[in-house]
Amino acid sequence: MSRFSKTILVLALFGASTAAVAFDNFKGVGRQATPAEVKAWDIDVRPDFKGLPKGSGNVERGNELFEEKCASCHGTFGESNEVFTPLAGGTTKDDMKTGRVKGLSSGELPQRTTFTKVATISTVFDYIQRAMPWTAPKSLKPDEVYAILAYLLNLQEIVPADFVLSDKNIADVQKLLPNRNGMTTDHGLWPGASAKKGGIGNGGKPDTKNKACMKNCKPEVLIGSTLPEYARTAHGELADQNRNFGAVRGTRTLGPEAAKKAADAGTLDLATKSGCMACHGMKNKIVGPGYNEIVARYQGQTDAESRLVAKVKAGGQGVWGSIPMPPNAHVKDEDITTLVKWILNGSK
Amino acid sequence: MGNPMKIRAASKDGVTEVKVLISHEMETGQRKDAAGAIVPAWFITELTAKHGDKVVLSSEFGSSVSKNPYLAFKFKGGAKGEKVIVSWKDNKGDTRTDEAAIG
Repeated sequence: MSRFSKTILVLALFGASTAAVAFDNFKGVGRQATPAEVKAWDIDVRPDFKGLPKGSGNVERGNELFEEKCASCHGTFGESNEVFTPLAGGTTKDDMKTGRVKGLSSGELPQRTTFTKVATISTVFDYIQRAMPWTAPKSLKPDEVYAILAYLLNLQEIVPADFVLSDKNIADVQKLLPNRNGMTTDHGLWPGASAKKGGIGNGGKPDTKNKACMKNCKPEVLIGSTLPEYARTAHGELADQNRNFGAVRGTRTLGPEAAKKAADAGTLDLATKSGCMACHGMKNKIVGPGYNEIVARYQGQTDAESRLVAKVKAGGQGVWGSIPMPPNAHVKDEDITTLVKWILNGSK
Repeated sequence: MGNPMKIRAASKDGVTEVKVLISHEMETGQRKDAAGAIVPAWFITELTAKHGDKVVLSSEFGSSVSKNPYLAFKFKGGAKGEKVIVSWKDNKGDTRTDEAAIG
């Protein structure tokens, strides 16, 4: 009873102190995770065996469990290549001595397996515990994970058939792993200084090199290749398959009609961007006249285009009523010409 | 005397299913090594499985069978604790026999 009340007290204290911290940092946002939630989430097992649960399991029990839960995908001997790559096989007794699987570098391995690659036994434990069985991850108890791992190690001929794997001797098994020296940490993704200076990384030096160009750079980007003519329609209308905003659009690929439609759609975009569509409708009056009304009024007039270009540029009032059209000096001359042509051609 | 086979035998409803993982190079004799010399043929030619004294599987293997072959078969009969014995013979005259109790 006294133990029980102590636990409650500790939990209460823990809760109170962490809650206070949480409210300081994120006021009004969410709530502090409870110790039970943290415990359920914090299940990783690290190469130094931090986080490894206590327990044990033997090869025989592992065989039963493997047959029941794992063999349907991995094969009885972990040999199956049907669903996933094989778990076991591909290593020799020599590999266990050197700690580096020779077949990986000599190329004589037809197929990589889990045990030809993995360098830390904790990773296998963690993976089984976290992700297996496929249909019911995290359903295995620690003892069951030990048993299955013992069976796998036996399949790999690392441990004998009467072996009992536990949290006590898993570190000894690590020393027998065939590819235990196969992992290099001389990469930018590993933290800390280089191995020579006591760290495990390389001091943060990236694996790839991309020097920024500071002088004599290419002045412009040239398009080096385009979609060849015969391949343009191979995937249907590319424009419809790309998002219709942002810098990169798909090109119109389906024939000249599609190309015209595309050009028109481009002009409509231009009209929208230039602010025309705020006052003018395609087929209706909004503030100013609709484009269909403009076409009707100026039909057959040879100088309509130049007059309208001037009107759009300078603004105007009176032709369609008293509401003035503002000047559009911000729109480029060539754009105005394009727009006027488009309007007079029916603005489809 | 090759490497040991892995054998699992399980009996259910009067039928025993046997699974065997054989450890053997299974060289076809048609492959060449890096120097261009032919790698000599070395493959299992015969494989038999016995339930006690009774032969339940007798088979001829050839060069078309893969390296480290996997073999599964079923036979009627067999009870828990009884023995299944699998043996093979290869073209070099080497043999290997392994046994497992039905589980």
